[in-house]
Formats: sequence, C-alpha cells, structure tokens
Amino acid sequence: MIVYEHLDSLETMPLPDFKNKCVSLIFCKFCENILCTRGMKAVLLADNEVELYSTDIPPNSTIDFVSSCYCTESCRCKLKDIACLKCGNIVGYHVVVPCKPCLMSCNNGHFWMFHTRAVFAINRLDSSGLKLLLWRDLPEIEETGNEELGWLSEEECIR
Amino acid sequence: MAAVPENRVLAYSVCKWSSYSSTYLPENILVDKPNDQSSRWSSESNYPPQYLILKLERPAIAQSITFGKYEKTHVCNLKKFKVFGGMSEENMTEILSSGLKNDYNKETFTLKHKIDEQMFPCRFIKIVPLMSWGPSFNFSIWYVELHGISEPDVVQPCLNWYSKYREQEAIRLCLKHFRQHNYTEAFESLQKKTRIALEHPMLTDLHDKLVLKGDFDACEELIDKAVNEGLFNQYISHQEYKPRWCQIIPKTTKGDGEENRPGMRGGHQMVIDVQTETVYLFGGWDGTQDLADFWAYSVQDNQWLCISRDTEKENGPSARSCHKMCIDSQRRQIYTLGRYLDSSVRNSKSLKSDFYRYDIDTNIWTLLSEDTSSDGGPKLVFDHQMCMDSEKHIIYTFGGRILTCNGNLEDSRTNEPQFSGLYAYHCISNTWKLLRDDSCNAGPEDVQSRIGHCMLFHNKNRCLYVFGGQRSKTYLNDFFSYDVDHDHVEIISDGTKKDSGMVPMTGFTQRATIDPELNEIHVLSGLSKDKDKREENVRNSFWIYDIARNSWSCVYKNDQSIKENPSKNLQEEEPCPRFAHQLVYDEMHKVHYLFGGNPGKSCSPKMRLDDFWSLKLCRPTKEYLLRHCKYLIRKYRFEEKAQSEPLNALKYLQNDLSSTVDHSDPEETKEFQLLASALFKSSSDFIPLGFSDVDQVYAQRTQLFDTLVNFFPDSMTPPKGNLVDLITL
Repeated sequence: MIVYEHLDSLETMPLPDFKNKCVSLIFCKFCENILCTRGMKAVLLADNEVELYSTDIPPNSTIDFVSSCYCTESCRCKLKDIACLKCGNIVGYHVVVPCKPCLMSCNNGHFWMFHTRAVFAINRLDSSGLKLLLWRDLPEIEETGNEELGWLSEEECIR
Repeated sequence: MAAVPENRVLAYSVCKWSSYSSTYLPENILVDKPNDQSSRWSSESNYPPQYLILKLERPAIAQSITFGKYEKTHVCNLKKFKVFGGMSEENMTEILSSGLKNDYNKETFTLKHKIDEQMFPCRFIKIVPLMSWGPSFNFSIWYVELHGISEPDVVQPCLNWYSKYREQEAIRLCLKHFRQHNYTEAFESLQKKTRIALEHPMLTDLHDKLVLKGDFDACEELIDKAVNEGLFNQYISHQEYKPRWCQIIPKTTKGDGEENRPGMRGGHQMVIDVQTETVYLFGGWDGTQDLADFWAYSVQDNQWLCISRDTEKENGPSARSCHKMCIDSQRRQIYTLGRYLDSSVRNSKSLKSDFYRYDIDTNIWTLLSEDTSSDGGPKLVFDHQMCMDSEKHIIYTFGGRILTCNGNLEDSRTNEPQFSGLYAYHCISNTWKLLRDDSCNAGPEDVQSRIGHCMLFHNKNRCLYVFGGQRSKTYLNDFFSYDVDHDHVEIISDGTKKDSGMVPMTGFTQRATIDPELNEIHVLSGLSKDKDKREENVRNSFWIYDIARNSWSCVYKNDQSIKENPSKNLQEEEPCPRFAHQLVYDEMHKVHYLFGGNPGKSCSPKMRLDDFWSLKLCRPTKEYLLRHCKYLIRKYRFEEKAQSEPLNALKYLQNDLSSTVDHSDPEETKEFQLLASALFKSSSDFIPLGFSDVDQVYAQRTQLFDTLVNFFPDSMTPPKGNLVDLITL
C-alpha cells in the first residue's frame, strides 16, 4: 500500500521522477481543516488505479491515529488509519511497517497517505509566487524532533 | 390512583453551547441521520468546559436520554460524559455520568429523576462531554432524544413538591443558622410554624448535651452507641485507602550457622498459599550468579524455613532467575517455567524450556517436560507471566522474550526480539495449547506479546487481565481482558494516548495483584526504566483499578516525601523503588508481601536487596473513629477547662485525654504534646459572631458538634452548607 509517484510524466520520462512533481496543500474535505503542506499526488503501487496524496513528514499536529493496525488484500504492509483532528473523520492511513515487495518496488518514500475521497489539494507556489513549487525545491525534511522514543535499556534483562 | 402516564419523547431546543466547528452546528443533534457524517454537533476544541444546554418545551420529568450515532465507529464519540438537569440554567444537578460505546448502535441511559423516591422536574438539560474515544479529537454528538413525562397532571405536583423541597431545605439552612448563632426564639418559632426537622433526634440530643449542657461524658456515650450501631459505616466506606508498609523482621533461630533467611536477590519468584499463610520463594539472581534455593515463610510463625539449599540436587529445577511461578492452592502444587540465560551460555542444549512441578505436601519435584516447545508449548522465555486457574486445573502463560542462540543466521530476523504468545497448559493431560500467537494487535481478537507486563487471573469472572509491559523500545499502555472460557479478547483501554495522571505510568516497573472478592486490581509502580527519569523524585505509587467501574485511582504517590522530611530516612518507612522484585497478595487477609529486587544503583550494579515488607491498605476502623471522636471531645473539654481551672485541666490532660492518644503514632504524639500550651493561652483569638450574643464556649462547642456530625450518614445530619456562605463580597 505504498504509493508510487503519479503517472503524469511516465510517458515522457523513462524513470519516475517525483522531484518534478508539484507540492500541494492538503485539506480535509469534511471540515476544510488544513492537514498538510507537503502533499504529493501519487498512485498506489499495489493498484495504480487508486489515486492518493502522500506526504513524508508525520503531520502530527493535524491528524491522529484511530483504531489499530490492519492489512489489506493488496499487500502485506501494516497500516493504521489516520483521522482529521478537527472533525475526527478518517482521511487516510499511515504505513506502519511496509512489506518487502512494496519496499523493493520503486516508491516515493512516503508513509503517510490521504484518500482523494476525503481530502482536496491546492498546489503550492514557489517564493516568486508565479511558478508552482516543485518537490526538488522543497527544503530537506526537517528533524521529526520531539517524538519521544522510549529509552532502551542496554541490558536485555533486568534482574 | 391514576395510571402512570407513558414515557414520551420530550421536545426541546438547543439554547446554549460552548463552541462548534465548521458546519457541525449544535441544532444538528435534533435530527437522526446516521448515514450523514455531517449531521452532528462537534466542538471547536476538546478543552473543557464543552457543553450543550437543551431547553425543554415545558417542564418535564426527564427519565431517559438516547444518543444516536454515526453508521460507523467515530473517534469523536463520547467515551465519557455527564448530564445535568434543573429548572434553571444556574442550578442543575448531575443526573447521569456515563459513556458511549464506539459503535453505530443507539444507546439509552436512565436519568436520575427522583430524590427520596420523589420525581423532580427539569426545564434544562446540560450535556457535558468529558472524553472522546480518540483523546486528541473534538467531541461530537450526532443525535439526542429525551424521554419522559411532560403531562401537566403529573409534572405539576412534582413542581409543587420541588418548590416545597427547596423551601424545606432553605428552612433547614435557616434553622441551622439560627441555632449556630443562638437565636433561640427565632429557631423555635420557625420550627413550630413549619414542623421541619433540622436533623435526626439523636443529633438534636447530641447538640443538647454537647453545645447546650456541656455534658461531655454523655456525648461520649452517645458516640459510642452510634459507632456500635454501625452509623459510621457510611463514612468509613467513603474514606480512601491508606497504605501501611511494615518491614518484616523474621525470627531467627540459632541453627547450623547457615543463613536462615533468603539472601539478597532480584529476578526471583514468590507465590503465596493463602490457606496456610505461607510465602514460597525460589531462585533469583544475587548480582553475580543464579540461585536455586527454595524457601517458605510462615506468616503465623514469622519465620523463614529453607526447604532446599539447591533444588537441582533434589531433582528439581537448576539455579535460575527471571522464571515464573504459580501456585495451585487447591492441590497444593507449585509450577515453574522459563528462565533467563546469559548470551555466553546459550546453545541448543541449554535453550530448552524445562517445566517443573513441586508438591508441597510430599516435598517432591517432578519434571513435567524437558522442553515445553517440543510439546507444543512455549519456547524458552523470560519475563513472561503465568497464572493458575485452580478450578479448571489450567495454567495460562503469556508473553516473555524468546531466548535464541547467538549468531544463528538462518533466520534473518534473529536480531529482532521474538515474543511468546498466549498458551494454556492443561495440567491433567499434560498438554499445551496455543491460544494467541504474537501479533501487532492487527485484529480485535489479537494480542500483542511483551515482557515485564502484568497478568492476573480473576477466578470469579474467569478473565485474565493484562496490561503494561515493554516490547523492544516501546512501553505498552494498553489494557485488555481475555475471557478464558469464551476465548474472547476485550480491549479495556487501547492506550494510544494516556489520560495523564489518571492511570499508572508505564515505563515504571510495576507489580500487580488481584482481589476477586473486592473486584480490584492493585498496582505498585516504582522505578522508571528510563535512566533519565530515574533520578527524578518519582518514587513508589500505588494504584487501584476498580474492575466493575472501570476506573483507576491512585492511593498514594510519595514523590515529595524526601524533600518535605529531610530528617526522615524514607527507606525505613517503605521499600525503596526497585526492579526485579516480587509482590504477592493474600486476598483472604488482605496483605501484600514484597521481597528483594534490584535498586538500580548505577554506582553499585551488583547490589541486590533482601528486605521483606508487608503492605496493608487500610481504611479507618470503627475503633479508630471511636477513639478519634473521644479524643476530639476530650481535647475540647480540656481546652475549656484550661481557661477556668488550669490545674484540673493539666490532670485531665495527663490522664483522660492522654488515654485517647495513640502514643506510638508520631503525629498524634506531637499534636498531644502541643496541647499543653492551651494552659498558657488567653482567649483572645475569638471573633464574635456579628449580632448574636454567642460566646466563645458556645461557638467552639458548635464547631465541635459540626465536626462530629460529619461522621454520621447524610440522612441524619443537618444540611452541610451554611447560610452565610451564600453571601459573596
């Protein structure tokens, strides 16, 4: 269930190149809350009929997980649904553990997906305000920062 | 008598709300459209207070409330909410405190609509969401229907009663005020006119003896009688538990020179036989090596008995630590499974999961299996959990990390820790059954394996309760039960976000016990495994989970005690926080026992503990309350005496008053010692009560009366409030 970059450019280019894709703002279709400023239009690896938006940085301040992990029939990736914090409606999913076939295939490295039926997107403009902002011009991924990971004791066993 | 009118839908409008977001307007709750996600009220934030106030078309008896929902589960559904009702917006009473399931089914709740068997009317209904199913999400209500009686024939008498009830309570407040301020004539004439009782005659009697006559001996007699008649039981049941730790110093007998109590260790195991009040302790790690000694502590004799210095020599288990033990109290047998092995000694031979049973009466160990994994049971694990179902003669074991050989590269996932699932061992047929494999909670019936968790068996509702623990770097917050007879997992809390401060924190080593009779789970949590947090002030905390009410309460947390009391050595009062200790519970005598563990001192990593503690959770007893009341009465009597006849007062202090003090209690003793200062105090700190002629004696006796009245049930006492408190500046 990992996404592949969108097919727009496939006819002209031999290899998918997501750097040339537009960066979109993603909004919740239900309550119009802005969900993410780093969206990319893409299709599913497992089923390229399905269009989606994806993003690279966890949109922690606008969405949260709902329910527990599940798998779909398409592949063995472990997924978890995400919902808009404002209205609580499910807007997409997070790939918690990607499966091998998906990882080996050409993917855009994004693990956060938004369903097109639940969101709408507006393309971002670059600093000139004239041209569309492309992924290659987007600053590198910032540190995920405050995610506090549990400290792992060096010992396997405390006795 | 007229037939009771039917319970009908009550018409209402939404008259006030805290907030709403987007198009999720408050009035959406008037229509039931389960297939429309937008047909709901949704708050703008989940920051309290969030509420909706509904106004009924006309006053009615609101008997029930029905919540409609969305056709699918939704994180904004109300997991916890309260409903208030009243005739005015300013004056509402709580009429429901509950929660909705996160599903698509409508739910109906009965609303409190009677006081003293009398129905009361409402004009306003306030719904206050407290928690949504996704803790970070806003609150949504999809549909609300109110049911009740609005027929004027029924409601009018209730309105009359309601207004009469309020009038009655107002008069009682006046009566209380008048008496407190000694407006005797006003009091008597109001009581004569209205014939309203301020309190139970017994308390009027107490007031008469205490405040008016100062007959303190008669007061003591009256309190004595009240306690013996069980009138203080309601008060006692509302008191919180207080933990009482007591270090056990076992009796020592001069014997063969060898130690006659178990030495320092962590990672050992303990079980208790509640019938004979015997604690069994086996194995552990003393800081350098595994142990194979086996002990029994008799509570009645306060003595350890060494059953075996080395169980291996008696065909029992070899030295080990991080194993698990459980006891079958009915058949008086103890089972042990699992152990930890240092990576240096792991090989295909040593990595066998042997399984032993010890028979208490014959003192014989039996090897049930050389390797349970070859019998379809668990592989060699450590830090798992094991519970005994004596009734069906089945053992349940869950979790633990599977020990594997080092450098075995056949499996590419060798480096990833593997965890053992949930197994049942049928003792009679000596067979294992895998009930749940380790999974990532993928489905509703799946469970996630772990180490260092708690698992308890409730022998009355026949469920296993599992919570806490750790899986590699992740501390788990979830809490679920497993119905052993119906093979069904029920998630009690998914633990995605913790209700901070409301549940025991994970990542702190916790030990838990269960009391099926009280329907409670007890959790002692101490040291954090997180090195950064370890140096902080967080010390032991004790939690009680009420199974029926699905609620946690923290009995105590002693994070500040060192600062407050620098002179006191905390270690003498309660066990220091630790890892790898053991806690067992005697549910019959309501006592916990704790032994040893690893104090986690980075400066002395080999240090292990051998201290032994009992813990009782206490509520004040009848006897304590009686003594306490007598103390209060005599203390006051002394203070009164001190003003008039200091010499007699001193004698009274030394004899009568002293006899009501528990001199072994440092706080009581200290307070007692300070009492003598009353002998040298002049009565200058008395603030006269406005216009009344109440003197200091009367005012102080009244104060004592109010204190004593608090121990009596509400149905007997004067109103709790005071008229003067209605006055704001």
